[in-house]
Amino acid sequence: MKDRKSKFLKLVTFLSERMPIQKLSFESMVTKKEVPVHRMSWAYYMGGLTLLFFLIQLGTGVFLLFYYQPTVSDAHASVEYITYFVNSGFLIRNLHTWSSSCMILCLLAHMITTFAMKAFARPREITWLSGTMLLILTFAFGFTGYLLPWHQIAVNATKVVLQSIEEAGHYLPGILSTLPSYIKEIIQGEASVGQATLSRFYALHVVILPLLFLATLGSHVLSVQLHGMSQGVDTPSKKAERFFPFFILKDFWLWGVAFLIVFILALCLPFESFYAYPLFEAYDALGSTPEGIKPEWYFYFLYYPLEILPFWMVMLGMTLSGIGLFLTPWIFKNTSRKALSIIALMITAYLIIITLFGQNIYDMFKGTTP
Amino acid sequence: MFDSFLFIGLPYVAIVFLLVGSIIRYKLRAFSYSSLSTQFLENRWLAWASLPWHFGITLILLGHVLAFACPGIWSALVSIPTFLTMVEALGILSSLLCLISLMVLLIRRFVDAKLQAVTSHLDVLVLLILFFQVFSGLMVALHHRWGAAWAPGALGPYIHSIFTFKPDASFVKEMPPFVKIHIASAWVLILLFPLTRLVHALALPFHYFFRSPQKVVWNNTRSQIRFEQRIESENERRLFLKAAFGTTASAALLSLGALDKFLGYFLKQDLTNAEEAHLLSKKLQRLKQSAEERELELERMSKDSIFVANLSDLSSAKGKYFIDYEMRPALAFRDGQGLPIVLSAKCTHLGCTVGQDVDNQGRILCPCHISYFDIKTGQPNTGAPAKAPLPHLGWVLKDSQGHELLAQDPDGRREGAINSSQLENSLLFIVKRFS
Amino acid sequence: MKIIISLFFLTVVFSTTVFAHPEFQRYSKSVSGRSVNCAMCHTHSDGPEGIKPDQIGSLSQEGLNALGLARQAYKPGWGGKSPILNEFGNLILNDLGKEKILMLKQKPELLAEALSKTSDLDDDGITDAQEYKDGTHPLNSMDGNPWKLFKNNLIKNRFHILMIILATGTGLFGLYNTILWLSIKTGKE
Repeated sequence: MKDRKSKFLKLVTFLSERMPIQKLSFESMVTKKEVPVHRMSWAYYMGGLTLLFFLIQLGTGVFLLFYYQPTVSDAHASVEYITYFVNSGFLIRNLHTWSSSCMILCLLAHMITTFAMKAFARPREITWLSGTMLLILTFAFGFTGYLLPWHQIAVNATKVVLQSIEEAGHYLPGILSTLPSYIKEIIQGEASVGQATLSRFYALHVVILPLLFLATLGSHVLSVQLHGMSQGVDTPSKKAERFFPFFILKDFWLWGVAFLIVFILALCLPFESFYAYPLFEAYDALGSTPEGIKPEWYFYFLYYPLEILPFWMVMLGMTLSGIGLFLTPWIFKNTSRKALSIIALMITAYLIIITLFGQNIYDMFKGTTP
Repeated sequence: MFDSFLFIGLPYVAIVFLLVGSIIRYKLRAFSYSSLSTQFLENRWLAWASLPWHFGITLILLGHVLAFACPGIWSALVSIPTFLTMVEALGILSSLLCLISLMVLLIRRFVDAKLQAVTSHLDVLVLLILFFQVFSGLMVALHHRWGAAWAPGALGPYIHSIFTFKPDASFVKEMPPFVKIHIASAWVLILLFPLTRLVHALALPFHYFFRSPQKVVWNNTRSQIRFEQRIESENERRLFLKAAFGTTASAALLSLGALDKFLGYFLKQDLTNAEEAHLLSKKLQRLKQSAEERELELERMSKDSIFVANLSDLSSAKGKYFIDYEMRPALAFRDGQGLPIVLSAKCTHLGCTVGQDVDNQGRILCPCHISYFDIKTGQPNTGAPAKAPLPHLGWVLKDSQGHELLAQDPDGRREGAINSSQLENSLLFIVKRFS
Repeated sequence: MKIIISLFFLTVVFSTTVFAHPEFQRYSKSVSGRSVNCAMCHTHSDGPEGIKPDQIGSLSQEGLNALGLARQAYKPGWGGKSPILNEFGNLILNDLGKEKILMLKQKPELLAEALSKTSDLDDDGITDAQEYKDGTHPLNSMDGNPWKLFKNNLIKNRFHILMIILATGTGLFGLYNTILWLSIKTGKE
């Protein structure tokens, strides 16, 4: 009797420490809130930047929604219509593309810096968990959105990724080996990537994922506001600046600069010019596949290892990293920030090298000339 | 003659008198640079009239100066419909505000006893001249519309000619009476400027925005506290003004540049006939493609055998693409003996469609991750990313009457017989029973 | 019926010089590093041979007549339009003539020099000859060497860029002062 009660009490204490709703007052959230000033203070702005790019995505996405048609016969033509004929259509579309890349870049910077600053430490575990969910949702956004223009690289890259899921079945025993195929069919909706896939990816990208994202984001931002900014460095900084108005002013200035940069890029540099033009022709189910099919750059850290290393190795790495990501607050509970910074630097180095030089490494290993 | 006096002689006299007069007045009687405010005597009506008057006239003068100083830029801006609407709306509003304010300013001097005592002829004259000037301007705007568009081109050269000492009144001579009156009375106003209270316009308090707050130290606590409260509210006021300026300027710029594009996104787009036709034909093509795909699907669902090609059309160097019963791409070749080779073209690695050209080693290439597949065995080359071979499909050779001559199942077992002449005229089919 | 006509014309025309020119494609790909397909000059990305729309096999009677005339344009300046060539392809045919094109097949690198130095059909600031060497599509204003496109568009849109910088700057200035003003107001309470 006493044991059960104390366990329940433990749960209540645990939750109330993680979600201090008593701090939902104007005083603690606005007037008295402070932000530590130290050498890693620049990283406090990363989350806000990610939010800015998400808001740009929401805005431009709604605009695109007015003209996009989610059918296999009309999708590509509708995107071409937006790009070449709708007034400022190319700007909206290009802004959507550039902002998605910027959002993921800022998101990765945000994740790595919060890791290095040990911002997941008690009592901020739930913030970290909701953040990991947001990471997964963002990548899901990228994956589902990529298919929508229905051009060669979109459909073929999606096919490649889904096929990789099916491959995992070879490594599972007995009836479990059919599970990946089953999952792939649920995602695809039919025997191969076609109208059913497009319809459900559209529904996911436009309705389901935004709702899930907003709900998770709400919980994430609420817990950040409740707990305040974490201390960030091992010895708590003596200096602190007021959140309102100084920090938030600097935050908005940064938003202004970031918005200008992405706007000018979208106005002057079409994202598609980085790729060969045959990849953007309408998908032809009955024709040959052009060369150069790859997923978006933010998937390279998975794609190139899959190409180079044995499948089981990559699967194992992914599973371990995935579990590690979720359990970070408990795995690294007693790690010093110094050690965390080293790990963070190694992860950053890996991500940068594999994304920028993945193709070169692949060519080196396979002995193929580019 | 009269025109030359009014529009060449008078301007120069006015400008010289303005410059010389203002400087002399400043040197001799600096303290006379005053607005001669009657705020101490009558505050309420003054506030309601003086502020709108100053806002209004500032906007109007700003518009005039911009249009005459940078006619190129102004014309470019005015060609944007949103900008022109904004300019005209502001112009009309401002002039009405000015007229009403001036009337109030004038009336209050005759209605209030304290003011009557201090009002001089010059005060009334100033108000009347200003009223006349704004009124004539309003008449120009109402009777000779689109002034914001024609004035820089028609009158800009005149103003320019005055200030570059090459006066040319020919631009003004052809103008309608209202315009001439407005211009002439403007020069009169400039002439009278140094003689009146209008010189207070030369002492603009711009530094108010940038100066540090003034700190006064009182030697009694109550005054000190009251003073500090006032400074705080002045700081607040300054910040509010800066904030209002910033947000208004930004909103104006955005509405000028971005609003019509923002709205334009949702309007019906202008396409030429040729462009519309081209788009429609593309859509039609895609629809036809979709229809074709559906037909293929239907064919595979309903028919027992599907025609691939005439055997004589196949080659050993280049495969012919077709769609098999599983709606996957497949290739058909002809081997050395003249018999067909039919295999799936869906790469067993990650699903790309394999190429149709056979190299000199009898292999076809999947371009995605470079796997070579031997067409006879379907095996990938050693070290290829693809591990599994391309499966062969079962096929049937029929004659022109539809009789089955030779059949081969996916495992390679043959049924039936065929001679060489029948071979040359046979047709290749894939059949449901082998799928 | 269509198939019979196309087969007939295919056999007739096949006996004259071959039309698809993979040498140019190979050169463009090797010098630019980008993969290009037949759509750079032709109306269909798989080239002119076949029965798909925009290929020879699906041309109407008058299309086939026009094609026949285009086939005979050995000298430059014939002034017509071949139905299997896009605007760039027709520009090459008109400017150089078929004789020169067949000569250039042996030396595809000289095609860029032979073309006009100023022609820019998609108006993206990169000349068609340069786009041929860069492996980007000369009729697609969104396709081009990214840095060249960026530079050209930056200059083309400088007014709008200046305006947006001004608008953002003044907006932020206003926002900055609004927040400071609000902070003083809340500070008093």
